[in-house]
This record gives sequence, structure tokens and C-alpha cells, in this order.
Amino acid sequence: MTEVKAELVGNLWKIVVEVGQQVEEDDTLMILESMKMEIPITTPVAGTVTEIRVAEGEVVQEGQTVAVVE
Amino acid sequence: MTVAEAKGGLDALARDLHSRREKALAMGGEERIQKQHERGKLTARERIDMLFDAGTFREFGLLAHQHSMTGGPTEPDRTPADGVVTGEGLIDGRRVYCAAYDFTVMAGSMGMVGEQKVARLRHRALLNRLPMVWLLDSAGARIQEAAGSTFAGSGALFYEQVQMSGVVPQVAAMLGPCAAGTAYIPGLADFVPMVKGTSSMALGGARLVKAATGEETTDHDMGGSQVHCYISGVGDLEVDDDDACIAAVREFLSFLPSNNREPAPVRAAVDPPDRRIDDFAKLVPTNARAAYDMRKVVRRLADDGEVFELKPTFARNIITALVRFAGQPSGVVASQPMFKGGALDIDAADKAARFIWLCDAFNVPLVFLQDVPGFIVGTEVERQGIIRHGAKMLFAVSEATVPKVTVVLRKAYGAGYYVMCGRGYQPDALAAWPGAEISVMGPEGAVDIIFNKQVAAAEDPVAARAEFVETVRRTIDPYIAASWAFIDDVIDPADTRRYIIDALQAATTKKQRRAWRKHGVPPV
Repeated sequence: MTEVKAELVGNLWKIVVEVGQQVEEDDTLMILESMKMEIPITTPVAGTVTEIRVAEGEVVQEGQTVAVVE
Repeated sequence: MTVAEAKGGLDALARDLHSRREKALAMGGEERIQKQHERGKLTARERIDMLFDAGTFREFGLLAHQHSMTGGPTEPDRTPADGVVTGEGLIDGRRVYCAAYDFTVMAGSMGMVGEQKVARLRHRALLNRLPMVWLLDSAGARIQEAAGSTFAGSGALFYEQVQMSGVVPQVAAMLGPCAAGTAYIPGLADFVPMVKGTSSMALGGARLVKAATGEETTDHDMGGSQVHCYISGVGDLEVDDDDACIAAVREFLSFLPSNNREPAPVRAAVDPPDRRIDDFAKLVPTNARAAYDMRKVVRRLADDGEVFELKPTFARNIITALVRFAGQPSGVVASQPMFKGGALDIDAADKAARFIWLCDAFNVPLVFLQDVPGFIVGTEVERQGIIRHGAKMLFAVSEATVPKVTVVLRKAYGAGYYVMCGRGYQPDALAAWPGAEISVMGPEGAVDIIFNKQVAAAEDPVAARAEFVETVRRTIDPYIAASWAFIDDVIDPADTRRYIIDALQAATTKKQRRAWRKHGVPPV
């Protein structure tokens, strides 16, 4: 089980995967809006998305777990 | 009868000398050498052979060995060269001093005699103004010789390293452990490559940590390359094995002069200086909010696409790399929108400041590629001390007197524009690409601060805000900056390489003197 964490504080703009979806290493799971940039949150491992712990529009903190990939 | 006659004349004496040398060259013996190889490590002497041009290494202190300080046994056979090979030789035809710790001799521990040798080496490196390389593979101070209050006399090596800093290049290659206080050798060095899996460094080794605090860990878990090249930033480059590590040392030195009074060594170049780059449109999205990989941009700009990145896996939101432009060694500081949007944080500021100081100390011109949305703001970064860390970058870029060239690719916002060598930091040339946004902040942020009352009072606040944003957006335009001559030019992206090379060549005779001072007071 790998927890995917946000690299920096920002507004969660878009979630581009669903629970149950297969992902490859470095795939974008969601996009953070911060510092005038769209910052992709990518998975460090391949696997299945088992949890999404945030909702679009939410503010996420640096280091916060936003999804789980198994 | 003289002593020589008693021993059988000069020929016999020479034979005796050769057998003594051979014994010392055999290091810790076959069994320990085999163990060293089984760990995936080369011996100190194999590393030296690889580091220097063939046949150029000249050793001193081969016949030295450990002496008991306490009336215990003195074991010359167990401690050839006292565990450290010292000498000088040529790397790409230029002289370099080297101390290689020999792990097959008492785990490369640093004894009194061996350290005298290394001290002499440091003195010679500084006297002759030539680079110093440490090949580190050492358990640390030899406690048998160091425990107790004779410690009061030790520590000069770091004092001397500081005197050498900025005068001669210093490289600490991590090819094994480097435990305890000796970890300050890499801490003070200019370049610290680390071999993955076998190297480690920590102010206290695992056993000392256990004794001092009760914490259980291993040398590798605490101080391997996975920590220092990714998290702490002490390591400059993670490499797979000893061969790659030695190759990295040679390559690093190829960019630098032997000392701070010489120019960086210019190489003959074949890559045309006016080479146009036609695919930036594909690489760099015009939507300034979208990310892309700046490494690809740097690769296209540099001679032959060759880029030697320092700390590529630490603070990845900024790129620091040694490259050549028309053969001239140059330091590139580039935003990396792929990570954290290229926004600056404390680690990025530290990484860039140190790199700028390195290049400036050794006459390596600087090229800044800006696509920076600014410094990250908020409670988290304030607690981390973003102000004093960011100030470090201001300090370094202001102090640098080497030729400086700045190109704004897309975004140059706020203090990000300053620390990446904006107008106020006296670049020798400053240009922007046609779509560049140079501003104190983005239009949305500006509207929310300047027009918040008007927006709130409007009948349709959403439409009013959008209108104000559009108004402010129109004021962010590189031609406005160019019309005030704040930037020197707006350039076709395809001509960026040529612009950089022309600007660097125009500044080769640059001489800048500051008001006398003992030294500034740098924020840390």
C-alpha cells in the first residue's frame, strides 16, 4: 500500500482517476492548483487506486495523503 | 664496517626496499581485498588508478604505518601506509592531489600517522593552488589512538578545508562509510558524489547513536545516498558504483579551473554557437499554468546536449547544472515547472545559492532560465524560515561577479524574478521570450488585493472580478518591460542558444570590484 501525498499546499482542482482504476508509475492522479500553476500529483508506484481521500475544491496541505495505491 | 656494508651493499639494500614497498602496496592482504570486492567496492589503489591519467600518480608516505600511542602494540604489517594512500597525479593533464582511504587496513580508520600524511597533502594542494580529492571509505577516527583528552589538539582539518574553500576545488567522493566528525569533510567539499548502497555519512555512526540516544538504526538507513541525495541535500549525485563515482569526479573537475585565479578551461567546440532550436513550441506549453520538463530545454541549449546536473534528486523544483556554451564552462540555474510548479522553497534556495557561490568562486559564468511562479507562500514555509533561506539566494546572486545572462522563458513572478537574476541583480544580458509574464504577482492575486472592495460592491462580483483580471492581465507583457528598457530584448525562442553565447562572449573581459569589506554577513 502506498500513500500518495501532496508536495505542497494548494487547491485541489481536478481528480482525474477513480477508485478501482489501474495506474502506471508516474501517472497523474489529480491536479493541484497552487502558485499560479497546475501541479500534477503523480503516483510513485503502479497499481490500483483503492482510496481517494480528498474532494475537488478542497485545500490540501503539504504532505497530506490524497490517495492510496495498492 | 658501515651499516650498508653490514646489510650486504646497495643492491641488497635496494632489494630490501622493494620488498618493503611491495608489502605496503599489498594493502590489507588478499583476504580483505577479496572482502572489499565482494561488497562491490574497489580498493583504494584501484580507485586511484582509475582516477588519474595512466602512470601519472606519484605517492608519498607509502612506508608509513601506525604507531602505538599508549604502549600497546605497533603493527607495521597490519597498517600499510597507515590506511590512507596519499599523493598527486594528472587528471586530463592537470595536477590534482588525492587522499584515498584504504578500507582493507583497519577499516580505513584515520590514525595519527595517516592524518599527518593527509595534512601534508592539504598543505601542498593549497600551496600549489591545485584541487584536492578525498576518496572516502573509512570507519572514522581510529578510537584506539584518539579516545581521551588528547582530542583537545585535533580538528584542524576542517579549519584548513575552510581556508581552501573558494581557492581550490575540493571533492569528497563517498565510496564507503564516512562516520562521525569526518562527515564534515563532505560537508565542506564542493562536490560530493555518493555510491548507492555502499556509501554513507553521519555525524555519529549507528553504534554511537545507540550509545548516545538509544535510537536504533544502521549507517545505511541513517546516512545512505537515499537520505543525502534526496532529503538532506549533502550529497550532490547518487551513482551506481565506484566506476561511475570516479568518472563523475573527473567530469566535475573538467568544468573547473585548478584554482580561483585561473579561468575555467575552455574546450574546443563543434556544436555551432548559432544553432537554432526549432522544437521549443512542442516542449514548452503556452498555457503558463501547465508544467513541462525544463531539463529538455537545458539539454537543447547546451553544447552537444551534455548536461552535468548537481543535486538532480534534491530540491527538484530548481535545476543546477554545469554545461558548456561554445566550449565555455557555464553554470545553469533553471526553474523546473515539473516539480512544485517551479516555485521556490527553502531547499531550492539553498541548492541554488550554493551552486551560484561555487560557480562565482571558480570563474564559471552563470545562465539563469526563468519560469518561476515565485516563492511558495504560507504558514508552512514561514516556519521553515523561507525568508532567511530566500535571502541566501539574493545574497549569492548579488555577490556573483562572473558574467551573468538571464532569459525569461514564461513566468517571472515576484522575488522569484529577483533571485533568478532579474534587472536589479545586474545581469550582463537579460532577455525574454515573446509570451513572458514578468510581474510582482499573477493577475488574480493582484485583483483580489487591489480591487477587492470594487469587486465586492459590484452587482455581479464574478463578472466584475473577471473584468479586473483581464485589465491587469493586459499590463503583463514583455513588450512593456522592453519598452522601458528594463529588459534588453525580446528574443525568438529558437535563437536562445545564440543569444546566451553572444552575451557570454561579450562579457569575457568583465571585471567587477566591490567596496572593501572583511566579508558580508550572509543569511543562513
